[in-house]
Amino acid sequence: MNSSPMNHQQTLWTIGGGKGGSGKSFLAANIGICLSKLGVQVILVDADLGGANLHTLLGIPPPFPSLSDFIQKKVQNLHDVLIPSGISNLRLLTGTQDLLNSADVKSLQRRKLLRAIRGLGGDCIIVDLGGGNAASVLDLFLMSDGGILVVTPEPTSIENTYRFLKSAFYRRLRQSVSSPSVKSLIDQAMNGKNESGIRNPYELFREAKRLNLEDANRMMEETEAFRPNLILNQVQSKKDIEMGFFIRSAYQKYFGIHLHYLGYVVYDQEVGSSIRKRRPLILENERCRASQCISEIASKLLQSQMRASSME
Amino acid sequence: MKWINEQTYYEILEISPEAAPKEIQKAYERAKEAFRHDSIAIYTLFSNEEIQEIQEAIEEAYRVLMNEATRKEYDQTHRERIRRTFVKEESRRIEREAEKGTALSFKEIALHLEEMEYRGKNLKEVRERLGIDLKSISEKTKVHIKILQAIEEEDLPNLPPLVYLKGFLKAYAKLLNLDPQKVIEGYLRGFHREGGEKK
Repeated sequence: MNSSPMNHQQTLWTIGGGKGGSGKSFLAANIGICLSKLGVQVILVDADLGGANLHTLLGIPPPFPSLSDFIQKKVQNLHDVLIPSGISNLRLLTGTQDLLNSADVKSLQRRKLLRAIRGLGGDCIIVDLGGGNAASVLDLFLMSDGGILVVTPEPTSIENTYRFLKSAFYRRLRQSVSSPSVKSLIDQAMNGKNESGIRNPYELFREAKRLNLEDANRMMEETEAFRPNLILNQVQSKKDIEMGFFIRSAYQKYFGIHLHYLGYVVYDQEVGSSIRKRRPLILENERCRASQCISEIASKLLQSQMRASSME
Repeated sequence: MKWINEQTYYEILEISPEAAPKEIQKAYERAKEAFRHDSIAIYTLFSNEEIQEIQEAIEEAYRVLMNEATRKEYDQTHRERIRRTFVKEESRRIEREAEKGTALSFKEIALHLEEMEYRGKNLKEVRERLGIDLKSISEKTKVHIKILQAIEEEDLPNLPPLVYLKGFLKAYAKLLNLDPQKVIEGYLRGFHREGGEKK
């Protein structure tokens, strides 16, 4: 009997954005656990190029099989590299960074990898992208059903997240157009100090319209359809919470995109304590303030997934 | 994709064309705060000139929309543009409202416990948000349900003597995962302020 609340569309979320240390892995693990507790079949994927450590957050000691074992044919079936987490409905896949990190890996191969991961089943796949703006990271972010940015209310984190989103946004536009002249225009726009004097997406659209109306229209459609999500982590005041709304307004005015403010997680000493114990916060202290925030975000993700399923 | 000078005043303030003055005021304050030169939320995103342009557009939108006569005139002269953007803006507004409902209403539990007063009604709200009924609190704390009710309703005549009240508040707070000391102090402080005294 399938007791899953999903009925039934698989959703792949990616968690990324800018800076290391903003809590992406921590949130991926704990949101995953929240969903699994609600009966959702979850696969957590560790794709952090810099330092994969979802297993540590889940308290799983190495060694364990990884995707590399499958690629090197040490393991026959992709299912065999899924690691049981000891938590019901939750499994972990690691080793994706080996494939993503390689400069030889083309976008097509990433697509194939993603398809293989989706083929593993499960209702919900959560990919921890880690920090950085590498092409592979941006591609995964754009290929997913929903990209989630994790930001802390500090200038450094905000700056890196803008950089990440700008790269993702222009990459998405570039992939949607066909004429070489518009592609080249987007490349110039990505470089802030370009010769054509394009300073922002609005000026890019204006120039693109002049060059190729069809491509400009496609870019408009892509902009309308691009809806990343935002989680503000480690908030300490009401002002910090409001910053999520401000960031949303800024994105709207700058990129013309609608950012969905998923929620915030309060700064809580329990977080550090749970990480040191290598026990997921949600299991260690379900009622602490940060846990409550994470549960709320997980239930929003579930609602949006169910809405998407019902529209199928 | 429209730059600020191509947006309607309603788009600039992110409100519906039917917004009441109260909503306009709120939206204006929020926009002003978001696009201050030193706002962290826009850090490195806009140039100084762009920020200046946005600020001026916000001021102008507010000035026109807050005055009944100028708003009426603006609505009439920009009817078609407002209508075209209304549907899109309206669906966004509904989405934003939904976000606000879930994200901000949560702050009572998640954020402001340290700042908030631990009045009876606050404790009740936290309990209800956690989905715990009074009966199960009573069973776990061994405090009679009538006393718990009196605590939540701040029903002074039916509250037990201070020494017991502190003990009951402590047990209740623990169950809600609140700091017992802060709850006791906050609860009693509320009483003192209102002139009520528990001996």
